[in-house]
Amino acid sequence: MNAPGPDSAVDAAALHFDVTRFVLHEARLLDERRFEEWLALFTDDGLYWVPLAHGQTDARTHASLFHEDALLRRLRVERLEQARVFSQQPPAHTVRVVGGVMLDRVADDGAEVEVRSTLHLVEAKGDAQRVFGAVVKHWLRHVDGDWRIVVKRVDLVNCDAAHEGLELFF
Amino acid sequence: MFATDFPTPAARVRADRVHRSVYTDPDLFALEMRRIFGRAWVYVGHASQVPATGDWITTRLGDQPVLMVRKADGGIAVLHNRCPHKGAQLATAPCGHAERFLRCGYHGWTFGFDGALGAIPLRDGYDAVAIAADPDAFRVKPLARVATYRGFVFASQAADGPSLDEFLGGVRVSLDNFCDRAPSGEVEVAGGIQRVVQRNNWKVFFENLHDTMHPMTTHESSGLAARKLHRAMPDGTPKPFELRIVDGNIEPYPFWAALALKGFDHGHGWMEAIFNPPTDPTSLAHQAALEAVHGPERTREILSLNLHNTIVWPSGSPHTAFQQFRVIRPIAVDRTLVEIQTFRLKGAPDAVFERALRYTNVVNAPSSNVMADDLEMYARVQRGLDSDGGEWVLLARGIGRDAPFAGGVASTGNSEMPMRNQFAAWARYMGAGDAVGAA
Repeated sequence: MNAPGPDSAVDAAALHFDVTRFVLHEARLLDERRFEEWLALFTDDGLYWVPLAHGQTDARTHASLFHEDALLRRLRVERLEQARVFSQQPPAHTVRVVGGVMLDRVADDGAEVEVRSTLHLVEAKGDAQRVFGAVVKHWLRHVDGDWRIVVKRVDLVNCDAAHEGLELFF
Repeated sequence: MFATDFPTPAARVRADRVHRSVYTDPDLFALEMRRIFGRAWVYVGHASQVPATGDWITTRLGDQPVLMVRKADGGIAVLHNRCPHKGAQLATAPCGHAERFLRCGYHGWTFGFDGALGAIPLRDGYDAVAIAADPDAFRVKPLARVATYRGFVFASQAADGPSLDEFLGGVRVSLDNFCDRAPSGEVEVAGGIQRVVQRNNWKVFFENLHDTMHPMTTHESSGLAARKLHRAMPDGTPKPFELRIVDGNIEPYPFWAALALKGFDHGHGWMEAIFNPPTDPTSLAHQAALEAVHGPERTREILSLNLHNTIVWPSGSPHTAFQQFRVIRPIAVDRTLVEIQTFRLKGAPDAVFERALRYTNVVNAPSSNVMADDLEMYARVQRGLDSDGGEWVLLARGIGRDAPFAGGVASTGNSEMPMRNQFAAWARYMGAGDAVGAA
């Protein structure tokens, strides 16, 4: 399909529907541990970023909870697929509620968008359960007929809290 | 055998084993807070965290919430985070700045940056009270002693005891090297502080820091994953830094055995790695910046002291090569907070600090693929030790082969000497009675 342009209300609604579908699909892939498909959603230079501080603007001179390029995303997935992943015995299960999907920016040609959504994630491991809340920003680019993630930024509401291990992608 | 069966706390430590209650008994934990964290010099923070007069941070020394404040005279005060009036904590944020004084949010009493009483609203209500004769009731209580070693600020709740220099002893060499790696000789905390919660006793983590028999087992998942990624790269591709610092853990046993371990008095220690002159651009730029100040000979001397984890007991673990300080804060008998500080070497190229942050993110952040399996094993240890399946924990590997030297003891890399050295310090503190209150 062609990149939908923002020229009319109909196009805007179609674009909104399209990116919403993408964001929901992305969340579903993570919940279903379909990591290979999830990795393929990113552009080659795509970035997965979970800042450590509220309002953090830079990841080069400030630590982050996650700051992962293709290599580090792949490392995380490869580890989870190893036989002796002790910290995933039993494995964690997640379910997400994604809401409030809004288009924050649409490039003039419609081929790049910034999408804001809110995330409520429940993670269960054995008898333990954790809840995370976050604002998620997807910077998407239209490549070869579908959206690709240039940057996925997850701002946890408790980003600056003391955390136990955070092994899975938000 | 119940913990109460021991005649003294120190009787739980034997030459080759410790009783499990040292990790699980809440009463013993409370005693540790008085006898160890109440006596030892404990790392509070780095002077660079409070650069200007009135800057403060909050943290904990043992079970004591404290404030570290930059005073008007340039010195640093470490105060109990408690208003003398009704006991309210004076500050709750991790850090901040006070313009002229510390002010309690409850009744508006103010205090100087050294804790001395400033103003009390409607002070005439105390006309009949001899404030001057009872100053301790009207000031924020300072820690008994504060001292700084090359910018690292330590405090002790005990008025008596060894000086900070005496306390640090041989491990000063590591803190010196930490700073000497900066062309200016100075370092600063930068880039935020990661905080990780562990579900284990604080000593479990300290023991792990020099436990070289665990990495190839515990870290198999991250190590094999990193190796696989490097193998998939075109032949001759240098191993990226992010993979090297992960798959290094699964080096075979002889690699670790060849590292030299040193234990120093008071429980400190370090692990000495073999120095291979680095060839990557960041290390070479760092080396050039040092040579510009010191020349090649002194630069090689600085860089060839190649230490992996250093232990400053019971404060935490500085890492000189990648500019980290993992500060270990006991929360409860089975819960430990780790603050991971990253440092900038002043005068070094930006790439050196950026590398330190990558190390922080990849190895020490809560999301670390490496640490995940450590945290799991520490939690398993804690739960196992809480059971009646056994009374003693062995620390016997390499016993009889330790090589004492003045101020410490040396061993091969796969010895449990560091654990024995830490528990020797533990037993000395725990057997020495209370110091808090004697001040």
